[in-house]
This record gives sequence, C-alpha cells and structure tokens, in this order.
Amino acid sequence: MPGHSLYLGTVTAAIALFIAVGAGYLAAHVAFEWLGRRFLVVSGAEYLVLGILLGPHVSGILGASLVTQLDPVLTLAIAWIGLTVGTQFELNRLVATPARDFRIGFSTSVLTFVVVVGLELAAVHLGGITNDLDALIVASGLGVVAVSSSDAGFSLLTNVAGTAGRLFDQLRVSTMLSSLVAITLLALLLCWVHVRTPLSRPLTTTEWAVVSIAIGALGGTLFHAFLGETPERDRLFVALVGGIVMVSGAATYLDLSPLLSSLCFGLVLVNTTSSPQELVATLTRVARPFYFVLLIFAGAAWQPVLPTWILPIALFVVARVAVTVGGARLVARANGTLQEFGDDWGIALIGQGRVALALGLSYLRQGHLPGRDAVFTAAILSVLLTEFLSARAIRSVLVRA
Amino acid sequence: MRRVIVLALLIGCMHLIAPLGSGAYGSRALLAFGLLILAAYAAGELADAMHVPKLVGYILAGVAFGPSAMNFVNTSAVADLQPVSSLAIALIAFLAGSELRWSELRERGGVITRILTAELLVTLVAVTLFLVVLRDHVSFLRGTGTVEVVAFSLVFASIAIVHSPAVTIAMLSETRASGPVSRTSLGVVLISDVVVVLMLTAVLALARVLVPPRGADVPALALSAVAWEVGGAVLVGAVIGALVTVYLRFVRRELFLFAIMIAFFGAEVSALLHIEPLLTLITAGFVTENFSLVEHGNALEEAMARAAAPVFVVFFALAGAQVALRELAALWPLVLPLAVVRGGAIWAGCRLGLRWGRVTEAADALRRDLWTALIPQAGVAIGLAAVVARTYPHRGGQIRALFLALVAVNQAVGPVLFRRALDRSGEIPGDAAAMETDHHAASPILQP
Repeated sequence: MPGHSLYLGTVTAAIALFIAVGAGYLAAHVAFEWLGRRFLVVSGAEYLVLGILLGPHVSGILGASLVTQLDPVLTLAIAWIGLTVGTQFELNRLVATPARDFRIGFSTSVLTFVVVVGLELAAVHLGGITNDLDALIVASGLGVVAVSSSDAGFSLLTNVAGTAGRLFDQLRVSTMLSSLVAITLLALLLCWVHVRTPLSRPLTTTEWAVVSIAIGALGGTLFHAFLGETPERDRLFVALVGGIVMVSGAATYLDLSPLLSSLCFGLVLVNTTSSPQELVATLTRVARPFYFVLLIFAGAAWQPVLPTWILPIALFVVARVAVTVGGARLVARANGTLQEFGDDWGIALIGQGRVALALGLSYLRQGHLPGRDAVFTAAILSVLLTEFLSARAIRSVLVRA
Repeated sequence: MRRVIVLALLIGCMHLIAPLGSGAYGSRALLAFGLLILAAYAAGELADAMHVPKLVGYILAGVAFGPSAMNFVNTSAVADLQPVSSLAIALIAFLAGSELRWSELRERGGVITRILTAELLVTLVAVTLFLVVLRDHVSFLRGTGTVEVVAFSLVFASIAIVHSPAVTIAMLSETRASGPVSRTSLGVVLISDVVVVLMLTAVLALARVLVPPRGADVPALALSAVAWEVGGAVLVGAVIGALVTVYLRFVRRELFLFAIMIAFFGAEVSALLHIEPLLTLITAGFVTENFSLVEHGNALEEAMARAAAPVFVVFFALAGAQVALRELAALWPLVLPLAVVRGGAIWAGCRLGLRWGRVTEAADALRRDLWTALIPQAGVAIGLAAVVARTYPHRGGQIRALFLALVAVNQAVGPVLFRRALDRSGEIPGDAAAMETDHHAASPILQP
C-alpha cells in the first residue's frame, strides 16, 4: 500500500523532528541558560544552527515540504515579532524620552542604511552579479537587515545585573528605533517592487504603503473596539491571536510585509488599551516559543548561495559592524554626547537577533525578488556572529562609559 | 452588538482586499482562521453574558462561519486546520488523564463502572429498538431484511452512545466546577471513551458476519489489532507519562512549550503505531499526575490548561464548522425523537447504575444531574462514524449523515443542559451550595 507507506514516512519524519528538536532544544536550553548567566552569552543562535542541521541541505529531517506546510506558523511568528516591537512605542514612555535620544537613534539607523546600501550596490554592481535595478533591490535588502540591532543583550543584562543609566537608556532607544526604521524600510521596499496588481490600474508604491499601514492601524483600531475593556490574560491572549492572525494573514495575502502591519497593530493597541502592562505581559509570555519556532524554521529554510554572492555577504558583515560603530561615534559627536558615551559606544549596537532574522525571512519569502538567498544568508550569518556576544558588548561599553 | 459590528467590518475589509491578493504562504487559511477565532471569541462572550456555556458560542460561531452557512471558512480551510483540532484533542486528553487520581479511582471505580455499564447498555438497546421500530422511515434500513435491520441498527446505536470528553473537560475548566457531579461525570466520560471503541469494534465484527461488506477495500478486523489499539495505547501512554515525570523531576523548564510538544508527540506516536490517541494521552496524564511530586504535576497541568484555553476556542469553532446543517434540515423529523430517546435512555441508565452502585454520597444531585454530562457529542464521535462509513461505503454514508445530524443536536443542547446541572448542583464556585456539596479538593485545571 503505497499510500500507507507515504503516511508512515510523513509521521516518522514528524516524530524524528520532534525528537531532534526536543533533544536539541533541551540541550541548548539547559546549556545556554547556564552559559548565559555565567558568561553573559545570549541564547538563540544555537537554535538557528539546529534548524540548519535539521534542514533539507544537511540532514533532511525537516524536509522542504514540511517547511512549506508550516508557512502559516512562520508568518505568525514573524508577525508576533512585529507586534512586540510595536508595543514598545507607548506614547507615555516616548514623551518622557529626551528628543536627543531619538535624534541619535534615528540618525544612526539611517546612516547605517545609506552607507551599507552604497557599499553593497558597488559590490554587487561591480561584481556584475545582476543588472542595475536588481542590484539596487538586493543592496536595499541588505541595508534594511543591517539597520536592526538586537534587544536580547539588554534583557539578559537587566536580568543578571539590573543595569540602568543614561547610556543604557540611549541604547534602548537606539535599538527600538533601529527595529522601527528597518521594518518600515523593508515594507517600503516591498511596496516599491510589488508586482501583483490584478486591477485595471496598478496601485502605486504610496498606495501600497498606505495599505500596509492601514491593515495594522485599522486592524488595531477595530480590535480595540472589539475588545472593549481589557479582559483577563487568557481571554486577551485568545483574542490577540485572532487579531494578529488576521492582520498578518491580510498582509501576506497582499504580498506585503506582515512585520510593518503587525507593528502598527501593536502600536495602536498599546496606546489604546487601559492596561498596556497586561498586554505586554501577555505577548511576552509566548514570544519565546514563537522565536524558537522562527529560529528553527529559518535555519531549515536556508539554502547555500552561489559563490558570486560570497563577497557581498562578507562585505555586509564587516561593513555593518564598521558602519554601526563609526556611525554611532559620528552621530554622538554631532549631538555633543561623545564624551559621555565614549568613542566606541556603537559596539553595543552590533548584536543582531530576532528582528534581523524576521527581516531576512520576509525578504526571502517574496518569490520575485532578486538575491533572496543572499540577503537571508547575510542575516543568518550576522545573527550567528553577533548575537552570542551582544550582552558582553553592551556591558563592556557601559563599564567604559 | 459592538463586536458583531466589528466582525461585519472585518468581513467587509476582507472582501475589499480579496481582488488585490495572491493568497501566498497559506494566507487564505490564516485569514479564515483569524476571523473564526474572533467570531468564536465574540460568540463565547455573548453566550457567557446569557448564562449559556461559552463553548456553545464557539460552536455556533463555527456553524455560522463554516461551509454549511456563510462559508467564510470553507471545507479546504477546515481541512487545513485539522492539525489544530488534533492538537486540541491531545491536550484535552492529557488534561483529562491528569484529573484522575489513583486513590479516587480505587474509591469510586466500582461505582463508575456500574453507572457506565448500565448507561451504555440501556442506551444501546433503546436506540437500537427505536431504529428497528421506525425502520421504514430510516434511509439505511428501508426495504432491508430483519438481519440487516438489526445489524445496522446496532452499528448506529454503538456510535450513538459515544460521549464527549472534550466538552466535559472544557465545561469543567470554564466553570471551575468541582464536586460529586463533576468528578463522577468526568470519570464516566473518560472510561466510556475506551469502552465505546471496544464496543464499536465488537459490533462491527458482528455486523460483518451478519452482513458482509461488498465491493469496498475493507481490511478484516482482527482481535489482536483491537487488543493492540487499546493495550498499546496504555503501554505507550505509560511510557510517555514516565518521560514527562522524569522531565518534571530534573528539568521543569518552559512548561508551556513542553505541554504543546507532549500533546503533539503523543498524537503523532499514536498515529504511527495505530493505537488509540485519546487513551494514550489520558494514560500519559494519569501516570504524570500520580507519579510526579504534587507541585510538579500541578505546574504542568497549569501550563497545559493555559495552552488549552485558546485551543478550546479553535477546537469547538472547528467542530461547529463541521456541523452538518444540510443533513439536520433534511432529517430533523427523525433526529429530534432520536435525540429524545437517547437522552431518556441515558437518564434511565444513570439512575439504574446509581441504584446498582448503591451510591449514597450526594445521591440526589447525581440522580438528578449526572445524565446531562453524558448528552454532548463532538469530535471523537465523528471519527467513529467515519470508520463505519469506510466499512460500509453505501449504507455507512447514510448512517454517517443521520449520525452527524444527531451530533448537531447533542452538541448544541448537551453543554447547555450540563451547565444548568452544574449550576443547580451548586458545584460552580460562587454558589452558596457549593460549600455544602463539595467535599473534594479542587484540582488546578478547575481552578487555574
């Protein structure tokens, strides 16, 4: 009975997957929790490696068809990350933050984007890998990924050492803004290169951008009206899942970025709910499992790139670190805070994590874009190389300051 | 009303974007899924405000948005969401198993067995007689010989006696009820789940002898296969339970994620080994509860209950989406009296069983209310009907249609009756009477 064998094969793969993921997860979790506390190492990248090892290009336990079957879960995981970023922008907290902090954070992000895009454009163009337009798209994709910085180091450091202070606040704002800028730029890029327009008149980039934001903002407003008074945590969670599934489903359905739509959704929610702490606590409770799923399946979705892309990817990793550190120094000098922060305060921003990965994955999932595997590989490589040590980097900067 | 307006606006938005999209990466299913959750949530809250169980709201939302009515969640979306249903059943089964304590089983096992035996036999006989008497009005019995009438009536009756552990667990979780009616009904429903599978297997084997199936690719039934389905489930469930106990003893981390993984693993292993998935996870829950330290078991139960809260919404909304409105509309003159006969037989069977078991503790409440917990039917029942349809492709299809119509009635009426009974017996916290009747410590799932 061939059908039966096929079924058996699928189930066996699922169980093998469970055992591999479960064992790997536990080993990594137990080992890295200890390492994290002992040596200030941020956990996360090990799951990415686990995903690559399980994926179709190494062991094949996580087959391509299984990864495809779990696409909706991956969309939800990406959207959840956007949602948690959105909830960081609570107006009450934002108005209490000095304008200079925003200026520094925003300028650093934009500078990083512009310089990385310029360098990558030159590398891709001069290498003759693609035509001019495609080169600009790939360079923009790499620039977008380069902007984001990980907040995992802050969380670990806060848990272990309870750090606070002026520079610490600046780093938090810079990280938060880097996520916002990166997510917005990616959404704009996707609007710009949007190809499917089955209407009589194709929608313009601006119109697609409005649609992207409207999905989240309108979704958030309707959801607020739907919820009324903030319910108890379990009921809030159920409703939130419904809301975010709809918003991310709508954005993905239109080939737009679920990250920006869910960010807008979170932003509206956190500023309209009567108890933002409850909302954030509900989101945080399941953020870790979602990130875990994202890491594993992002690893499994990875494909080796053509040798021609190796130079732009290597350049990305080096240039990003250099531009982040150099740009941060430049911006701090321009704003008169260099003495206070120290020359190398930008080192604290080089760690990349969940947002970078979600950005890379979102780019990868746009079937018509050029250099998808290259952008995704660059994101994965950068996370692997920088997230581990992000907490140590932050601590070293804080100690020097 | 506000929520209904928002839902209408959301549906309007969906229509607005429909011509613009490609539906890549399973986004159609995501949209349908999101709408279903929000609709079920809204309907659940509405039901709660009307003192009707929330799960009735979830089911009705599923009916309204499902293929039978508005078709926002079409048949293919329902199929796409089946893994969520399987996960839900697995979580529910584990939670149910962890509610069973060895000491309590020893104390009440005899009574539960007697109640169950009486109830199942009386219902089986009553439903069979009902169909035999009305044979000319039943599509799959019309124009057949006496042997076939008896065989197919028995087959139908053996799936009509199924109860719903999912509804019982969800209801106890929602109301946080605890007391003699809750505990006894939970015990009866859980054990009946195993007994019913065995009974259906025996009845199908008998029917095959009386009326051999024709033309279909029907594998022969072997006693060893049935023994493995049940015995293997107990064995594998015990192993899973032991592994969970070890995990709780030495690791005890990320219990929320671990709970979902255990449910997923149990369901997959059961499918691979062809064993009864519900029994596997019930046993796993039972072993965990009875062999772990109390605080460890409680922590896992709490994590499971937390994971199950959204899962209940999805599970019952999907169950609603599968309700066969068309069949119900066509067969209601037969289905309604059938539902009444089944309900009456359950009532009589319970009273007989209670008398046989010489129950003295809270006897009045049990005599009055226990039967209501046994009325609801849901997912497992539909699965058993599919087994019959596979065995007898032609008549099995007609049996399935009648049965789905019966499930639709019991699914809507059963939870309401059970909720009223729990209210009346004072087992829902907040009732003054609860203080008098509840002599049992409430478990974590019932007081999350």
